[in-house]
Amino acid sequence: MDDEPERTKRWEGGYERTWEVLKEDESGSLKATVEEILFQSKRRRVVESHGQVRLGMMRHLYVVVDCSRSMEDQDLKPNRLTATLKLLEGFVDEYFDQNPISQVGVITTKNKRAEKLTDLAGNPKKHITALKKAVDSACVGEPSLYNALNLAVQTLKHMPGHTSREVLIILSSLTTCDPANIYDLIKTLKGLKVRVSVIGLSAEVRVCTVLTRETGGSYHVILDESHFKELLMLHVKPPPASSSSECSLIRMGFPQHAIASVSERDARPSFSMSHLDSGTGPGLTLGGYFCPQCHAKYSELPVECKVCGLTLVSAPHLARSFHHLFPMLPFLESPVEQLQGSRFCEGCQGELRDKSAYVCPSCRGVFCVECDLFIHDSLHCCPCCIHSRAAL
Amino acid sequence: MKLNIEGLLVYFPYDYIYPEQYSYMLELKRTLDAKGHGVLEMPSGTGKTISLLSLIVAYQKAFPLDVTKLIYCSRTVPEIEKVVEELRKLMEFYAKETGEVNNFLALALSSRKNLCIHPEVSSLRFGKEVDGKCHSLTASYIRAQRHSNPDQPVCRFYEEFDAVGRQVPLPAGIYNLDDLKDFGRRKGWCPYYLARYSILHANIVVYSYHYLLDPKIADLVSKELAKKSVVVFDEAHNIDNVCIDSMSVNITRRTLDRCQSNVETLQHTIQKIKDTDAAKLREEYRRLVEGLKEANVARETDVYLANPVLPDEILQEAVPGSIRTAEHFLGFLRRFLEYLKSRLRVHHVVQESAPQFLKDIFEKVCIDRKPLRFCAERLQSLLRTLEIADIADFSAVTLISNFATLVSTYSLGFTIIIEPFDDRTPTIANPVLHFSCMDPSIAIKPVFQRFQSVVITSGTLSPLDIYPKILDFRPVTMASFTMTLARTCLCPLIVGRGNDQVALSSKFETREDFAVIRNYGNLLLEMSAIVPDGIVAFFTSYVYMENIVASWYEQGILENIQRNKLIFIETQDAAETSMALEKYQEACENGRGAILLSVARGKVSEGIDFVHHFGRAVIMFGVPYVYTQSRILKARLEYLRDQFQIRENDFLTFDAMRHAAQCVGRAIRGKTDYGLMIFADKRYARADKRGKLPRWIQEHISDGSLNLTVDETVQLSKHFLRQMAQPFRQEDQLGLSLLTLEQLQSEDMLKKIAQIAHQA
Repeated sequence: MDDEPERTKRWEGGYERTWEVLKEDESGSLKATVEEILFQSKRRRVVESHGQVRLGMMRHLYVVVDCSRSMEDQDLKPNRLTATLKLLEGFVDEYFDQNPISQVGVITTKNKRAEKLTDLAGNPKKHITALKKAVDSACVGEPSLYNALNLAVQTLKHMPGHTSREVLIILSSLTTCDPANIYDLIKTLKGLKVRVSVIGLSAEVRVCTVLTRETGGSYHVILDESHFKELLMLHVKPPPASSSSECSLIRMGFPQHAIASVSERDARPSFSMSHLDSGTGPGLTLGGYFCPQCHAKYSELPVECKVCGLTLVSAPHLARSFHHLFPMLPFLESPVEQLQGSRFCEGCQGELRDKSAYVCPSCRGVFCVECDLFIHDSLHCCPCCIHSRAAL
Repeated sequence: MKLNIEGLLVYFPYDYIYPEQYSYMLELKRTLDAKGHGVLEMPSGTGKTISLLSLIVAYQKAFPLDVTKLIYCSRTVPEIEKVVEELRKLMEFYAKETGEVNNFLALALSSRKNLCIHPEVSSLRFGKEVDGKCHSLTASYIRAQRHSNPDQPVCRFYEEFDAVGRQVPLPAGIYNLDDLKDFGRRKGWCPYYLARYSILHANIVVYSYHYLLDPKIADLVSKELAKKSVVVFDEAHNIDNVCIDSMSVNITRRTLDRCQSNVETLQHTIQKIKDTDAAKLREEYRRLVEGLKEANVARETDVYLANPVLPDEILQEAVPGSIRTAEHFLGFLRRFLEYLKSRLRVHHVVQESAPQFLKDIFEKVCIDRKPLRFCAERLQSLLRTLEIADIADFSAVTLISNFATLVSTYSLGFTIIIEPFDDRTPTIANPVLHFSCMDPSIAIKPVFQRFQSVVITSGTLSPLDIYPKILDFRPVTMASFTMTLARTCLCPLIVGRGNDQVALSSKFETREDFAVIRNYGNLLLEMSAIVPDGIVAFFTSYVYMENIVASWYEQGILENIQRNKLIFIETQDAAETSMALEKYQEACENGRGAILLSVARGKVSEGIDFVHHFGRAVIMFGVPYVYTQSRILKARLEYLRDQFQIRENDFLTFDAMRHAAQCVGRAIRGKTDYGLMIFADKRYARADKRGKLPRWIQEHISDGSLNLTVDETVQLSKHFLRQMAQPFRQEDQLGLSLLTLEQLQSEDMLKKIAQIAHQA
């Protein structure tokens, strides 16, 4: 992990007024710097995510990418579109890593229309190739929020009630060109319990504020590229399920990976079901995952069986989704001065330079803010606790 | 929360308080303690109204003998209603905290049009019609006639009120206009007269400026208000213009024609009365000999529209013999009228002082000064005697007689300008006689003299010292408060150059310059691409706006702008403008985004708030100087220089900057709001202009944002808008710009608060 968030080169950045930043820090009282506020909210996120809440584990998420003229703006390098798509690739990877049994689809909107780039599916590869291809597309006209949302709703409304229905809009333009009153659509979305979140690339737009507030989503505007990444990653974590969503038991298949060698007698190469559609990749393979119900073969998990509709997962996938249900306790914030013992972070062994440090409630290990975030966001367990347990 | 303001217990109906509110209350308390006048400037959206109300109400409760009444003057009906709602909140809080039953009476007063519940009268559309119709139903002689003739229509609500209402005082409570109407309907009493009667014993009265400043109305409504009252003028940055307008008279040829026909009608009526009821005229004659003092005893309903400020000594004297009989008076009026007509027949502009005018009129038609002074009173007496019900028709002759009285009463502070044609259309003859008041202190002087404390307050009063000068009073406190902010939510930027380094300015020499117009267009285009939702752009005048927009259209700039946002334009037509406003708000609401092009000093710049997304940026194209070639303005400037030692340029700049501040202030209506303020003229960067902006704007203009190019502006704005879009919660404000009681009492906070008030 880098010491500093990656920033653009100095000559690429906008007009920076370093002397003003300094002034604000000194007088301190009146002008709280935005950095401070951001830091607070970072911390709050860790705190907020705690609690025994029901989380939607099976997510259906449509990502709407604005491809209008304003995406050509070069305030993100090399331009907004390229930067966005690049970050989205990372997002898709991370998303499936954290939510293995969920699905994603991508919609683009430009020239007052909306198009599906990829359908809802659980295979990251397909999305990533589609995103890579989309980099070259031209950015023209205005986006249409209405059309994009409408398109997403057409699919999402058929999703079963125990799964979450989500839309994430990445909006660069400040205007939207709608064929009908968007407030009616917002009502429909609310009725269908579709949660819409927006990440704005330029400024706060009223209609998005209303849209997200009504549907229970979040609305953020980026400051720079690293902040953009941070905001995207917020959406990796599953949102709390609404209390009204159905709970039901879901049938799942756990196929064993059968490795057959050519030497075996009854080994026959066969087609994987997932290759039938795409028609790419190696055709015949020997091993694979076989659906326990209908014995269709798949080369990758998780997937929904094309023949019998059974959800096929592996046990580690489920386990990875699991930690969201039992989040780590948040670390306690305490001023550095009051700490006894060493002034070093247990995680990175760096000196504690900030005003406050974070203490694990169970093992009393001290961490810096960066490590605190890393532990809660990625590790999901406290290294000190594990270490002491291993020592026993 | 309960506050201790220098020993005074103040109930404040909210859990949190802004530091500047506390500071404001301190200053206000000092003003009341000293029984003097005050000038206080505090930015809009920081809770001025509730601070004022809580402190003054607390003061009233603590010292009921020192302050008996609060008179709160605001500008428009919605503002009046807002004040009453705040007051209601405060009183509910009092009731909850102290457990006592409220014994406060507070009410709003507005015109008959807003208060009438008579089914026929209230359906009329114009205020003047309502007044006229009401008068024809409630005048004392009409009601007297009813005794002999039961078919005579009268207003049953007024009759009921007159019979019962005066004995029973209005029960304590808070009444806004609708409450009064409800109460009136329930009891069958006329709400208007009930309110007018009740303000005499009410603790708090909320009404419009004009009830105090316009001598014609003030004399009727506010004459008997107690001396120990506190008067508050809210949104008072334009108070000098209100004063001047209420005293000025414009006479055109049409006025004279209508006046002529008025005189004819009077002649006929007199003739008729002479035949039927000569005793009446004789009676009037006798009364006039006795003097006018008794004439004032007439009942409140006998409103004859006008009553300009008459010095007391005139009322003591008897009406001069030359105009005592009705015929002589009419002859006198005719002569005066002919004289005015001859004066309007000029071919060049004439400007003269009141004494010059009087000398001339004496030489030409032998009219003396003394009878002129009595003209207004004499006419009223005549109209009353002739029992003319519909006074609306006689507005022309009333106007002329007012003019006669004013011109002969004041030798200073007024000027007479006769213009044969409009400057813009020199070929069309349209003579106008402007009798213009140059001294706002004439109209407001009685207010300052009568009431023990007068507080002038607004969001934009800078520079503070000029108001006491032009209104001629001596304040005990003058203070300007800033906004304490947890985040810098306003961003004033001064754009001085285009991207091609052409200096941007609306000054006369470069007004037609294509380079400037193009650069202004570019600025708007670039801003339309980066500012979300609504942008409001102000031009210096309608003519300038038309020129620029036409030129933008030719250059294709408008078309480009329309790709980003829709464009709406304010026009001089009120209906069209309100339509444009409505559509503008709709476009902002549903995400299309819109730009409103409007004019400083127009309707939009004064009364309309653009909260949150309705105004994320305000662009001020040029410095809104008043039209300096106007002769009235020139005369006023001259007067200001001679009387108050205010240089022309200082006053012009002051006037331009207060309007500019009003315009850009439309965008910020509270601490959670945010907005860009773009001053697109290089002249704003000069210290003499910048220094006249309100302090709460000035302190956010750093040296780095003074002479920006369009590109730099776009960069800064982008950065600002992104920062402002970050989540902002109440907790972030707490302790900095929002205080709980404990925080307020801490030592260093009190120290900080002391710094907020900037003593002028």
